[in-house]
Amino acid sequence: VFPGVRQAQWLTKTKVVEGLPAAVQGILDNPALGLQELEDRAKHVVSHARLWDTTEVTPRREKYCPVLFENLIHICRLMSGKYPSLSKRMLARNCRIAATWERESILLQVRGLSGILMNSMTPIPPVASKEEILATKEHVLETFYPIAPTIDLQEVNVYQELNDTGFRDGYPYSHPHTLFFLESANVRTDRFRPEQLRAKMLMFAFGNALAKARALHGNDPKVLEQPIVVQSVGTDGQLFQFMVFQLNTTDLVSNDSIKNLVWIDSDQNLYERAQCVPEVKKRVVTKPAGISGFQPDTFKKFLALYLHGTV
Amino acid sequence: GAEAPAAAEAPGDAKAPGAARAPEPSAGPEPYLDIGELRSLACDALLQESFYQKKKRPFLYRDQDHTPGPFLTQLVSTLAASLSGRNPLLAVSSLDLNPEVNYYWHHGEEVVAHGHRKGRVDPVRFQIDDNPHLQIRVPKQLPEVVHLESDLGDIPVIDHKPSKLPLFKKQYENKVFIGSKVADPCCYGHTQFHLLPDRLKRERFIKERLEDQIEVVYRSNGIASLFAWTAAQAMYQGFWNEADVTRPFVSQAVVTDGKYFAFFCYQLNTLALTAETIKNNPRKNICWGTDSKPLYDVVEDGNVKGFNDEILLQLVRFLLNRPKEL
Repeated sequence: VFPGVRQAQWLTKTKVVEGLPAAVQGILDNPALGLQELEDRAKHVVSHARLWDTTEVTPRREKYCPVLFENLIHICRLMSGKYPSLSKRMLARNCRIAATWERESILLQVRGLSGILMNSMTPIPPVASKEEILATKEHVLETFYPIAPTIDLQEVNVYQELNDTGFRDGYPYSHPHTLFFLESANVRTDRFRPEQLRAKMLMFAFGNALAKARALHGNDPKVLEQPIVVQSVGTDGQLFQFMVFQLNTTDLVSNDSIKNLVWIDSDQNLYERAQCVPEVKKRVVTKPAGISGFQPDTFKKFLALYLHGTV
Repeated sequence: GAEAPAAAEAPGDAKAPGAARAPEPSAGPEPYLDIGELRSLACDALLQESFYQKKKRPFLYRDQDHTPGPFLTQLVSTLAASLSGRNPLLAVSSLDLNPEVNYYWHHGEEVVAHGHRKGRVDPVRFQIDDNPHLQIRVPKQLPEVVHLESDLGDIPVIDHKPSKLPLFKKQYENKVFIGSKVADPCCYGHTQFHLLPDRLKRERFIKERLEDQIEVVYRSNGIASLFAWTAAQAMYQGFWNEADVTRPFVSQAVVTDGKYFAFFCYQLNTLALTAETIKNNPRKNICWGTDSKPLYDVVEDGNVKGFNDEILLQLVRFLLNRPKEL
């Protein structure tokens, strides 16, 4: 069982801020980007994933969740016709991450397949000002006394304290930009619930940022001159979770001093319902076929996170 | 990609000239194309999948999923995105990963051999079920290459039943599908990308001294897949064997094993292939194709050696193909 966000923030020494950071909000509000015209394409893409992409009546979640993701990324990628610097990005699937750190004398590790990772040649500039970072000194991390913060974590014997970004040296797209998590299991109990998904997103964003920090600055714990920003997007094919994580410090043992920051925009629906066959009750169509309740703002946030750091 | 029989010549009235020229897509004169930029995108994709990303060993006999498959996906998605500024058709395209393409048709006749219907004459039924690695669908049709009524040569005749050819041994459901349902506005095919499976890799043919069959694999994949795709597109537009197409349907395909690339362009001129409708039908479907050539020599220590710009240019030309008015 994966810990909730409250636990994850203690484990990663992070302060949580509701909503998206100002830098991303600025992209959303920028009319020059033409986000309005893309709304129609986004609607088509949702229809394709949820209604049209099968020879059967309805596609199953295992199929439509990844297809929806690929379609959304395709729209985002096509923006590089307009902004050529966007082509300095590379998507990596099934990449492995390993990061190790100590929190109050407990040794913690993040390891394994971290979903789909988009890498960039240039890092995302820090989203929090110096004042905001310094202000985290005052923030007190929530503790769960008497419950140990490591409850429900898998206890393993670690023989190798490994820090690995998953890529060899010299890789030109060396900055982790955004992680994508697709909860595409058909059975609901096999999927992560939103709270657990957000916790997983936080842990892996932290893991990738930490591994990158160690690769850049070595293993000594310290406050980072240039904070590292890694974003996370999680979805089950309909509900989206957006996260922007900023690693300010690798000094994680104590509870004082500078903390890391994460902005979370949770439970954003892309659409209300996708009806493949119209629902008819007593010879009256109660629910027409098609996508209803499309929320363009959710798609705009997805695109804004994609463009962040380059545009 | 589709099943690739060792003896090519899939039915469907397709004429495939041997080592033919690759057709010139009818795009107007372009502003200077930055081939260096495109080359570096292609090399970056290749190096990421084969060198930089740390991966586990490939699964048994599934080498194509380890490096060639991901490389092809990366290559096409980044090139298509980068070229979308020049080709407005790409900017409104739909990219499918691992789609299904199906087509069902009748061609020729046979006499029923056993059972209570013995002695009666039945049409011979064919079904293609294809899984391209990637395909690009667009809302506008590609322009015709030659006129609808052109005759570029003769078609060979095969007298065996389809179940004797490896491509048509099993037929389960009779389906017609272009990759998406009829409601999708992207109802025309632009380009398909096929990945050859491990059991058809070049080394195996060379070891068994069947080098002359290597090109057959590419060609048969190109013809069969493109026929199924264009014919299904025509059916989506309302044509069938008794209401033949009034305009040609053109689509392209690239068949590759990750290193060697072969390019194909198909023009569907007729759907009338049943015993009755084929009698007075002079039209023929046409497929142009190239031999397979390597995109690069080898990847060594984070460097791509022997990169072949010609192949990249051909791929770029394919992606830039669009109707004249765009």
